[in-house]
Amino acid sequence: MRTFSSEFIISRRVFIGSAMVLVAAPILAGTTNTEKELLVISNSGQFFSAEHMTMLADIAEIMIPLSDTAGATDAHVIPVLDAMMLTWAVAGTKKQFLQLLVKLNEIAKASFQTHYLNLGKDKRVALVSHLDKRAFANQTSELSKSYRKLKKIIFHIYYTSEPANPDFMLIPGTYRGCVTQAELDTFNARGRVS
Amino acid sequence: MAQEYDVIVVGSGITGGWAAKEFTEKGFKTLVIERGRNVEHRGSEYTDMQAPWQIENRNLVPEDFDEQGRYQLIKQKGYFKGATKQFFADDKEHPYSYPDARPFKWVRSYQLGGRSVTWGRQSLRWGPKDFVANKKDGNGVPWPIGYEDLAPWYDYVESFIGVSANRDGLEDLPDGVFQKPWEMSCAEKVIAKNLRKAYSDRRLIIGRAANITEPTAEQMKLGRGQCQARAYCKRGCTFGGYFSSLSATLPAANNTGNLTLITNAIVERVDYDEKLGRASGVSIIDTLSKEKRSYKARVVFLCASALGSVQILLNSKSATFPNGIANSSGVVGRYIMDHFSGVLADGIVPGLDDKFATGRRPIATYIPNYRHENKDGVEFVRGYGFQATAQHRTKTPTHANKAGIGVDVKEVANQPGPWKFRAIMYGEMLPYFDNVASLHPTKTDQWGIPQLHIDARVRDNERKMIRQAAKDIGEILDVGGCVDINVNTTPEDRHIAIGDRIHEMGGACMGNDPNTSVLNKWAQAHDVDNLFVTDGACMSSCATQNPSLTYMAITVRAADYAAKLMQKGSL
Ligand SMILES: Cc1cc2nc3c(=O)[nH]c(=O)nc-3n(C[C@H](O)[C@H](O)[C@H](O)COP(=O)(O)OP(=O)(O)OC[C@H]3O[C@@H](n4cnc5c(N)ncnc54)[C@H](O)[C@@H]3O)c2cc1C
Repeated sequence: MRTFSSEFIISRRVFIGSAMVLVAAPILAGTTNTEKELLVISNSGQFFSAEHMTMLADIAEIMIPLSDTAGATDAHVIPVLDAMMLTWAVAGTKKQFLQLLVKLNEIAKASFQTHYLNLGKDKRVALVSHLDKRAFANQTSELSKSYRKLKKIIFHIYYTSEPANPDFMLIPGTYRGCVTQAELDTFNARGRVS
Repeated sequence: MAQEYDVIVVGSGITGGWAAKEFTEKGFKTLVIERGRNVEHRGSEYTDMQAPWQIENRNLVPEDFDEQGRYQLIKQKGYFKGATKQFFADDKEHPYSYPDARPFKWVRSYQLGGRSVTWGRQSLRWGPKDFVANKKDGNGVPWPIGYEDLAPWYDYVESFIGVSANRDGLEDLPDGVFQKPWEMSCAEKVIAKNLRKAYSDRRLIIGRAANITEPTAEQMKLGRGQCQARAYCKRGCTFGGYFSSLSATLPAANNTGNLTLITNAIVERVDYDEKLGRASGVSIIDTLSKEKRSYKARVVFLCASALGSVQILLNSKSATFPNGIANSSGVVGRYIMDHFSGVLADGIVPGLDDKFATGRRPIATYIPNYRHENKDGVEFVRGYGFQATAQHRTKTPTHANKAGIGVDVKEVANQPGPWKFRAIMYGEMLPYFDNVASLHPTKTDQWGIPQLHIDARVRDNERKMIRQAAKDIGEILDVGGCVDINVNTTPEDRHIAIGDRIHEMGGACMGNDPNTSVLNKWAQAHDVDNLFVTDGACMSSCATQNPSLTYMAITVRAADYAAKLMQKGSL
């Protein structure tokens, strides 16, 4: 078993009356179940339970796995999503995501006679991949709508994360409109264009 | 007793900031009244120092805006994001009215600095032909000024705000006082070169940006620094790299010690002294307490944005002016204009696969209007230009909205794609008497002020332009060297929302004849000597160029004139 503990702390704004308070989201802490290749998250989030967080982190990592570049877990996609459930999502979205997780367990039980989190990695990947295909092939069902919405926000959070944007420059200094790959690499390495 | 000032300036946006600077620097005690809240330059509302992962909700606006029906008119716009939402007015909180069949888009920024905080900074002079167009083709009211009247004031404004641009030597888009231009991308350069070879009248030029590339001593003294190519301007700029009231004119005004600034105060009306036949000042409503107050001044400058000023004029009723102050002609609210689009085109610029762009240029490229003359047998008057860009290579899309997950889809996402050139038409809408803003007879806002009802639409001339512009841009992209060209036009029967280009203007046009216009050549009301309107309301036609630079030039020219009269004691 590998202990997983992210150093990641996010802040979110909670409005209490008119006062704005900065609240730190809990650190995503968990252990890896090596047999199932599953990161089991032990803390509840601010919105999702620990079990929900485990399922969601797994789905996000299946969608965007670790490879040569960071995966969804390294990009802290689910802790960010959890915080955004309080600051961004409306009640309908919250319900949609929770029901999607219920539905996913139902599908797991119907297909494999057990809960999603009890499945081995290959079965979980197969299940999410199947759901992905179905959700885009037939877009009318509630399941499709919820899944596509979850996927969209997971991708959004991932592609706006620091690990997914290693060459991002907050202050480029200037703009160059016609550079070679070698020049681009040099600018990226020094984090500035000028 | 109402407090007394030399000048009252209504609004602190692009034009109000300028009026404040000019009068305070000339030694006049000036009161600026702003309906929105105070915003500190470099204060906590600026989000420009946040990386994408640091922005609240990853730059998404909260979903409940939709549920509550807030910001419905701008919710789909690229400029309305989590990091910029604080700088746009909510149409639910600040309602206005339009006919159901003809929605009007009134994009506003109600805070200190107005839309100077959120504007796109494209700063283009009008050319000599733009000021004679009304007279030439008989539409609208002839301009009482020409290019030569404004030219020195354009110089003056450009020197202060800082405009980075190329000296293009175009007769219809005169050069000015410029700082170093931004570079074109290799794809844009290819198109520019091909157009130069093929046409005598069509050019692709780099945009002219109110983003400073070579800060002057005057700019640095105000704490402004060189633009850092972040293109986060609409979030406010900590460097003061772009011109806004907050970074430039208001600090300059404040330095004089002659500025008094009031925020959260809506000017409800200009008060008129029947005995003296002059404006005596303004009445305001405190947005928070709803308390009413009056302020007095020798001169009133309305700079509340075109439609904001029209609303104030119409609402300023008196025995002499039962239809609103300065409205003996009945022309207040008439000739509402905006630039209009209707054509969007794109094409791939092939063959530059080993080239890239880096940094974020704060301005696009531009194809200036080449249709001042009625050539090629076209059946419309006036013309159009195109705002265009191929600033960066495209990126391959992610699979966020399509089937596919896993390593394979991740590896192919966000990879450098081809160079794509995109162009959007900006047409000159004619000044139509029947495109009108009036006070709604029954609807009011939360402060009891009658809502503005705006009924404006494009007509036959504009539809003909769209047809021709679609043909032209297809050809321009082809000649420019693009492949896979797409040209999309707005269907003839679909309403084009006026205001969508955010260059709304007119409503208190300038002219020589008091019977057909509201303001004289100094943007001074024909009917009321000490009342000036120098925002977009004063425009008699709309040309094709982004208008704010012209509003600024008109404002400083009018302020100079008013100040001289005040010094002589005749105002
Ligand atoms: C996204 C965007 C992009 C743009 N891009 C460009 C561009 O590239 N180039 C260009 O030339 N223009 C551009 N514009 C338009 C430009 O912002 C306006 O033309 C310009 O700001 C008009 O200046 P103004 O002073 O008339 O009005 P504003 O800047 O809108 O300021 C008006 C001020 O008056 C205040 N006010 C209104 N009513 C009252 C009242 N009753 N009492 C007291 N205060 C009041 C408002 O709160 C506001 O602060 C853009 C605008 C937007 C939003």
